[in-house]
Amino acid sequence: MAGLGAPWWRSLWRRAAAPLALQRPGRALLWSRGYGQDAGSEADKKESDVTKPCFMDELVQSLLSKMTGLDLQKVFRPIKQELKPPTYKLMTEKQLAEATRKAIEEAKELLKMPPVLSEREPIDDVLAEDRILEGTETVKYVFTDITYSTPHRERFIVVREPSGVLRKATWEERDRMIQVYFSREGRKLVPPPIFKDENLKTVFREDRHEDVLNLCIAQFEPDSANYIRVHHQTYEDIDKHAKYDLLRSTRHFGGMVWYLVNRKKTDGLLIDMIQRNLIDDATCLINLYHMLHPDCQSAKEAKEEEVYGVDLIKVFMKTESKKVGYIELALQAYQETLASSAAL
Amino acid sequence: MAASRGTMLLRRAASSLPGLALLPRLFWAQAAPAASLLRLQRPLLRVFSTETDPAASAEPVAFDTESRFKEKPWEYLETEEYIERYGNKPVWFGYRRNHKGPIPPQKTRKTCIRGKKIAGNPCPICRDQKLHVDYRNVKLLEQFICSHTGVTFHPTRTGVCMKQHKRLTQAIDQARDHGLVSFHIPLVTLQGKDYTNQHQAVTKTPPAPSLQSQAPWYPWYEWQQPPEKDIARIRRIYKDYLKEETGPA
Repeated sequence: MAGLGAPWWRSLWRRAAAPLALQRPGRALLWSRGYGQDAGSEADKKESDVTKPCFMDELVQSLLSKMTGLDLQKVFRPIKQELKPPTYKLMTEKQLAEATRKAIEEAKELLKMPPVLSEREPIDDVLAEDRILEGTETVKYVFTDITYSTPHRERFIVVREPSGVLRKATWEERDRMIQVYFSREGRKLVPPPIFKDENLKTVFREDRHEDVLNLCIAQFEPDSANYIRVHHQTYEDIDKHAKYDLLRSTRHFGGMVWYLVNRKKTDGLLIDMIQRNLIDDATCLINLYHMLHPDCQSAKEAKEEEVYGVDLIKVFMKTESKKVGYIELALQAYQETLASSAAL
Repeated sequence: MAASRGTMLLRRAASSLPGLALLPRLFWAQAAPAASLLRLQRPLLRVFSTETDPAASAEPVAFDTESRFKEKPWEYLETEEYIERYGNKPVWFGYRRNHKGPIPPQKTRKTCIRGKKIAGNPCPICRDQKLHVDYRNVKLLEQFICSHTGVTFHPTRTGVCMKQHKRLTQAIDQARDHGLVSFHIPLVTLQGKDYTNQHQAVTKTPPAPSLQSQAPWYPWYEWQQPPEKDIARIRRIYKDYLKEETGPA
């Protein structure tokens, strides 16, 4: 199964393609409801035994983390904080290796990707109508259950309107009320104006995409409309200006790649990877593309011919990409540099 | 009394003529007798001022430039005047507070300007009327933030009055909210949270039957005709007091 020349993830692919009936049924429900843009996944499950991969699948996560890379210098770069005098440590080779290993583990924790969810369904349920209360009040009353131990998603929050209607609070009202009673660090009651379009443009001009995404994670819930909108706008801007390197070695790179591959906008990213001589990452990207769009022509060709490395990129370039010329040029440049370094 | 009147006149003269605001107070004004004070009152304004109208010279000057920079406060930091005055140093560089003893009080003065009166040795922002503390002129705000730690300087370091320091802090906060000033964002992890919206608090509850069928919520919301027996009983009890029903009731 895993032949001599085959990459390490081929064995994982066979395992992941096995039917999901072995798992607990609750987990499947969990995944189909909570994770991924797989609205039609239940229908797919009935049709084929290979389901559409979720963002949280092991294989997908391993591919994405491989593409993200792990640059310790960038992850642990100095930040603006209260300065202390520097400490110097004298270490043996073994101690240095141990310290590097610990640093890599901590970096992996920091690079865990935030979840990618579909937008939450709006809540608009009327629980009661008491017409006798009409005209008694001029304001709405919000009743929140503030039991400390209930999870926030199971909290009952209801609103009594001046017309006497008792309804469940909308998602925005829920978030606001929960922030009032159980405030979280970094989250404001009113979303700051940085998330408006004009201010986002100013921030993007200064190349502060990572800051915007971190603020977005602190402020909004992952399935809220604002979170998804800000993330998509950031990814679009990065794709437009080819600033992929800003997010490399951060926890947002995986989300960006997932967004681009789902919308088949991988050309810019592919060119960037080839120009930085990251051929392994390029092959990972194309394999992820084939996993998500198994019906495309390059996926079928790749499956028939069992191509790897630069040949896979060439196959993909001829069939699926729109910027064929640019990718060809980049590949040529890469092969020339390879040849010259081999000659040396 | 007479001496204080003289010094007040001098101060008014000094404030109305910006070039001479930095002149030291003339010592002989205090010690002089009443006769020399009379000499002070008339010609002093005429000697130093270029304007002939004594009433207009009491007003503060340069209102139109102030309002021009009020709309776009960042433009003043590009002008020759600013560069000549401050160079590439921050606005508060070289300012020294006046206080007793070697250690300055831990709070600067409450405000430099009370109504129309300006205190002596005003703080670096109050002394230049063209500097406006606004969330949009990032160049001015960044002069008050340490570039190494990202912390706003304490007013004892910069010398600004407490009112301006408060306005500065608010402007820096606003600029950070608008994304004009960069700052370190603390990490927020989202792992280990359950995002399945399964609980009935956030899912659709089936509406009550009376809502679906458009019936009233409580039956007594609608008019319920009481039974005939009760109506007859009440009519019998209040027979003597019932008005004659004339026409439609």
